[in-house]
Amino acid sequence: MSETLLARITTFAAESNTKAVPLRKGETLVEVDQANIKIFISHLLNDLALRHLATITGLDLGQNLGITYHFIQGQETIHVRTSVPKTNPAALSIVDLIPGAILYEMEIHDMFGVTFTGNPWINRKLLLPDDWPADLPPPLLKTSKPAEIRKRLGLETAQK
Amino acid sequence: MNAEQNKPTRREETAGLIEYSTENLVPFGPIHPALKEPEYFKLILEGERIVEVIPRIGYVHRGLEKAAEMRPWVQNMYMFERTCGICSFVHSLCYGQAVEGLTMFQVPRRAKYIRLIIAELERIHSHLLWVGLMGHWAGFETLFMWVWSDREIVLDLVEAISGNRVHKSMNAFCGVRRDMPEGMEDRIIERMKHMTDRAHYYRQIIDTEETMLARTENVGNKVDQETAQKLCAVGPMARYVGLRHDVRLTDPYAAYDEVPFDIVTRNEGDVRALLRLRLDEIVVSANMISYAVEHLPEGPIRVKIPPVIPAGEHSSHCEAPRGEIFYYVRSGGGRIPERVKSRQPTLANIPIALELLKGQTLADVPVVLTAIDPCFGCMDRMSFLDTDTNRQWTWSGEQLRLYGIKHYFPERFKK
Amino acid sequence: MFRAMLEKPKTEAYPYKPIQLTERFRGKLDIDPAKCTGCQVCALVCPAGVITLIDMGTRKVGDRELPVKRPLFDLSSCIFCGECVDNCAFNALEMTKQFELATPNKEDLMMRKAVVK
Repeated sequence: MSETLLARITTFAAESNTKAVPLRKGETLVEVDQANIKIFISHLLNDLALRHLATITGLDLGQNLGITYHFIQGQETIHVRTSVPKTNPAALSIVDLIPGAILYEMEIHDMFGVTFTGNPWINRKLLLPDDWPADLPPPLLKTSKPAEIRKRLGLETAQK
Repeated sequence: MNAEQNKPTRREETAGLIEYSTENLVPFGPIHPALKEPEYFKLILEGERIVEVIPRIGYVHRGLEKAAEMRPWVQNMYMFERTCGICSFVHSLCYGQAVEGLTMFQVPRRAKYIRLIIAELERIHSHLLWVGLMGHWAGFETLFMWVWSDREIVLDLVEAISGNRVHKSMNAFCGVRRDMPEGMEDRIIERMKHMTDRAHYYRQIIDTEETMLARTENVGNKVDQETAQKLCAVGPMARYVGLRHDVRLTDPYAAYDEVPFDIVTRNEGDVRALLRLRLDEIVVSANMISYAVEHLPEGPIRVKIPPVIPAGEHSSHCEAPRGEIFYYVRSGGGRIPERVKSRQPTLANIPIALELLKGQTLADVPVVLTAIDPCFGCMDRMSFLDTDTNRQWTWSGEQLRLYGIKHYFPERFKK
Repeated sequence: MFRAMLEKPKTEAYPYKPIQLTERFRGKLDIDPAKCTGCQVCALVCPAGVITLIDMGTRKVGDRELPVKRPLFDLSSCIFCGECVDNCAFNALEMTKQFELATPNKEDLMMRKAVVK
């Protein structure tokens, strides 16, 4: 991890109530809360010139749902994690900053149930079938079991 | 029924993506009475020109990320290898690297070289497959057949090294499973020379052959570097507008820091640039393989690691033939992972594909969509909405392909 | 272009002629029951769940009765990765060159060589 990039992120983190944790081998994890996420990401894009968003990952953290943005530049990766409570999974979309993030957010919406305000396609399904039952929880939560999903969608396996 | 009332109205422009709404009685739903399955792409046209594309993917979604949370680490390597047949090795490589990053073990140098050789063989195979497919969709079947017969060179080499043509099963954590067989070095070098000659020949064909020129020159909406960057384009889709985005260069993994190579970029911005780029990459890969085989270091090929991976999270990215593959792995310290995220390059290239289609004619759709080298079982079905006439219809991929050929070369269809 | 008319066709003449396979080709699995000791490592490493261990009785070691198990292979699930072959310490397993495995009868793909008495 280059000293200047880590130092700049740590400085900015200290100013804006975020926490930067260096992981191993050129990776850093930064935890940001929802209120500051867009400011932080626009800082990364504009001031630190971290242009490449690899993907956005959803995570089931028990009480909350984690949304991790992975930015890569050269040999350094920055994971920016924000979390939303499972009881109110509403997050802010970054599509106005990075238009390419639109499909990544749709995927998290389908798989974890997080709604991204500001994403113009958030009401469309990307991956789930049209007849996904409304009361069936999103598939990638730890509590969702594949056997139950198969039964609800009417796809019983014949053997094994 | 008043035709004006049924015409779709234009909604607000959000983040550069225009949305059309149909506030009328005609349901623009994905289920067509004649179809057995919903569509992949919905194309909204004004006459012949495409105005917007709405993607729907996930028809071959197998829930691998969920399945990965229920299987031991090593079994996941085989499972992720089967994400894709064409880029199978680089999937298992990227997953392996993400997990190796959580351990304290290093990969032996000989294993890194062998990984590079197999990865580059796979790249040649994938690019040749794609060039053949472009020939097929453009109506140039001879190119398709010839390129695919040259692809057999690579597949035979892969079978000789790993035992299988497609799913190589060569990767293991911190190493490779099989060493190079005896006498392979000379054979590989000779075959790579032959491959370079063939790539030069095909390069000449696409620059001079009338069919390919007509179908690929100036086809595809031109995008600039800023747009490609904002749309998160990866791999050849970023390099063909001049961005120097290649994971092998910017973040070398395996033996890419020791094997010299040139990155290939172009800046014409049309589909023909993509053809030239991928054929040039084949030549670069053939040279890398020859170099790696000549400089293969001695030593062990594998370090055995315990089945329990320490807790933590790590990510890794690799340059697959189609673009950047990204894997994120989170371990709770046990025998099975807590979360594995795998992002294929095609998902990252869909936004730029939608951008490339705007303003193109219907006949160019198959060529432009294949140009991003998509890895899903694409173009089985597409549905279209013409906003001028308000006609909706559905075509299969074959019907669309024939429409394109008829549009460009009508003399082939004269009775 | 004209040179191509003089070359012979590249199409493989399979199935009328046998196809060339490489030495490392991974085909159908085979076991040598004499070498198998029932150590269960193959069942533990198989990624596809092909191997089930069947009780074959017990044997006396000193004054203890130890269970004897042997593997049963359901080759319809086999992914031909070769992990079992690599991990067998007794070289009881090998991958043959046989690849024409399509059959309408699933029982044909159950390899019971090690478990028949």
